[in-house]
Amino acid sequence: MNTHETHSTLTQAEMPLMRHCPLVTCGQEVKRGERIATSSTPGMGDIHTPVAGKVAHVDTFRIRIDANGDEQVDPVSLDDLSGSNLLITLLELGADLPQVNTTETLIINGVDAEQGVLTRQELFISSRATLERGLKTAVALYNPQTTVLAALKGTAQTLDGANTVDISEQYPSGLDPMVALAVTGREAPENTVVIGLETLFQLGRIMETGLPIMETMITVGKEGKIVSLGTPVGQILDEAGEVIADRDRIVLGGVLRGAAAASPSHGVGRDTSAVALVNNPAPVAQDAPCVGCGECVRKCPARLDPSMITSYAEFGMYDKAAAEDVDVCFECGLCGFFCIARRPMLQYIRLAKNELALAQAQSGEEV
Amino acid sequence: MKPFNPFSLTVSVPPHRHCGVTVRSRMLIILLAMVPAAAMAVTQYGIAGFRVMALSMATAVLTEIVCDKFMGRESQISDLHAMFVGLAFAFLLPASAPWWLVTIGSASSIILGKMMFGGLGGSPFCAPLIGWALCRISWPAFMDIDATMLTMDLVYPLAQLKNFGLQAVTATDAQALFLGKQLGGLGVVQIAGVLMGGLVLVMRKHISSIIPVGVIAGVIITAGLFNMIDPEVYAPPVFHLLTGSTIFGAFFLATDGPSSPNRQIPMLLFGMLVGIMIIIIRVYGIYPDGVPFAILLANLFTPVFERIRPRSFGKR
Repeated sequence: MNTHETHSTLTQAEMPLMRHCPLVTCGQEVKRGERIATSSTPGMGDIHTPVAGKVAHVDTFRIRIDANGDEQVDPVSLDDLSGSNLLITLLELGADLPQVNTTETLIINGVDAEQGVLTRQELFISSRATLERGLKTAVALYNPQTTVLAALKGTAQTLDGANTVDISEQYPSGLDPMVALAVTGREAPENTVVIGLETLFQLGRIMETGLPIMETMITVGKEGKIVSLGTPVGQILDEAGEVIADRDRIVLGGVLRGAAAASPSHGVGRDTSAVALVNNPAPVAQDAPCVGCGECVRKCPARLDPSMITSYAEFGMYDKAAAEDVDVCFECGLCGFFCIARRPMLQYIRLAKNELALAQAQSGEEV
Repeated sequence: MKPFNPFSLTVSVPPHRHCGVTVRSRMLIILLAMVPAAAMAVTQYGIAGFRVMALSMATAVLTEIVCDKFMGRESQISDLHAMFVGLAFAFLLPASAPWWLVTIGSASSIILGKMMFGGLGGSPFCAPLIGWALCRISWPAFMDIDATMLTMDLVYPLAQLKNFGLQAVTATDAQALFLGKQLGGLGVVQIAGVLMGGLVLVMRKHISSIIPVGVIAGVIITAGLFNMIDPEVYAPPVFHLLTGSTIFGAFFLATDGPSSPNRQIPMLLFGMLVGIMIIIIRVYGIYPDGVPFAILLANLFTPVFERIRPRSFGKR
């Protein structure tokens, strides 16, 4: 692995925050691997700096660090930890581990759901030993009755200690809820945990090194690449030989679900599966009313009515969107891909979900 | 806008790629699918047929521009839906329709059938049928195909059936009917052209095949039952399929997005209801061709059919 090479070339790291609380202030000196933000979401890990240096910028969405020196934190000994102590330590070291009480089935999702993303496929090739170490840790944490690896049909991937189940390459079969359906035969099964292959890789890295997570596998162009977290996306594209032109879009993740970066200094996060440059200057979505063609309804794998949900969200009628089961949506993005009016379908759905979650949180506080 | 130095990125919500079909491209393909029938209509009726179609389309587009002005909204005529409404309305008229009838019908299709409900996507009815129904009820004499087309040597088989019974129908040759050798709406009776266009739309997946299949199945089953009861009185299913606007209604009007259901089972039931209503109106009603009223009635049932829906993913 050429991970150290990547680290040495990093002059600045920008760590994207997902509702994390920053623990550092501007101007503070940090060692490589020092915890700089703590998670406020259950099951989500903390964030650590992949470079030693000085904190240059802190806001709600990002922490930027100028690289300087090579001081590093000491590795943590994980060998004598087990059960909830191990879980807490792993979360503190940056692993994203869903929290459940009992686990019957542990599913490792090894399928790259979106076309053009090969991150998980590449992980099988480059880091098998790390993945198997991660799987052992995950099994110890969740203690499942059965462990299943969901792999793309035809690739014949296996991991020690897991049965392989074939998954169709037809989108959205590789998304977690569809994989859980294919494995268990039931929709939204109870006591089932689905974790992505990259989480397994990150678990394995923590166990191997005793250090927090500071790298991840992403897809750039047609190949996988292990990069340091916080690497500016502009730098990744530069190294891949891409030239960013005016009005281009830098997409983090797949084209159906990924977010667009606001600046080339935007850093790679743990959940970034791919970095791609989209040359079409015009955004796909536009502000347009629903024309009622029904394409989204027929394409929705969750059997929802996206046309009604998004129309309710458009006019702030979130309770009606909830009555249309907006919570069931697993955000595959097909409705927006097929919308002939080019409405920002997924965005409206996320808006409704977010507003409903906020309302619920507020009413919870009042009681 | 002057580009920022060195560049500015476009930030947009997902998806970052699209299937490519837009409202405009879909309407354009639907219009192209209507061209064969329109060409056959011009061959048959000459400049009279062309006059009705051109006037109706122009009126529809102009009406929409005026409506947009009054409603203070950006005009959407570039999506070509108004052109479709105008042409579909013209297809339902006799070639002899006077200019004022075409103008009033086409304008009211747009005003009452589309813009009144907030534009494309809001209307619970298939727009061209609103104009047709208004004209049919207000000026029955001018919409009566037999009375206005006496100069032609063709006959209107549905009126013969309605007024004089099955024995009086002279146009029974399926091949002649299929090639449009009959009177009726100027475009809708060009069965060969309409069917060709409809099949292209189905194959290119611009309309779902479920509704047309439902309509045709509904017509065959209902007409077949009547025909079985008494073949001397009730016409066979193939006669009902090849006359009037059955095929046009099945492929172009009943499939109108906002006024028809969106899911498979409701779509099939909706289509079947249209098919059944066509035959019931033709057998018991006072109108020779039941298709427009059958579709308008079925449009009213769309919200009821929409209640038949599967459980959402993972809900028990």
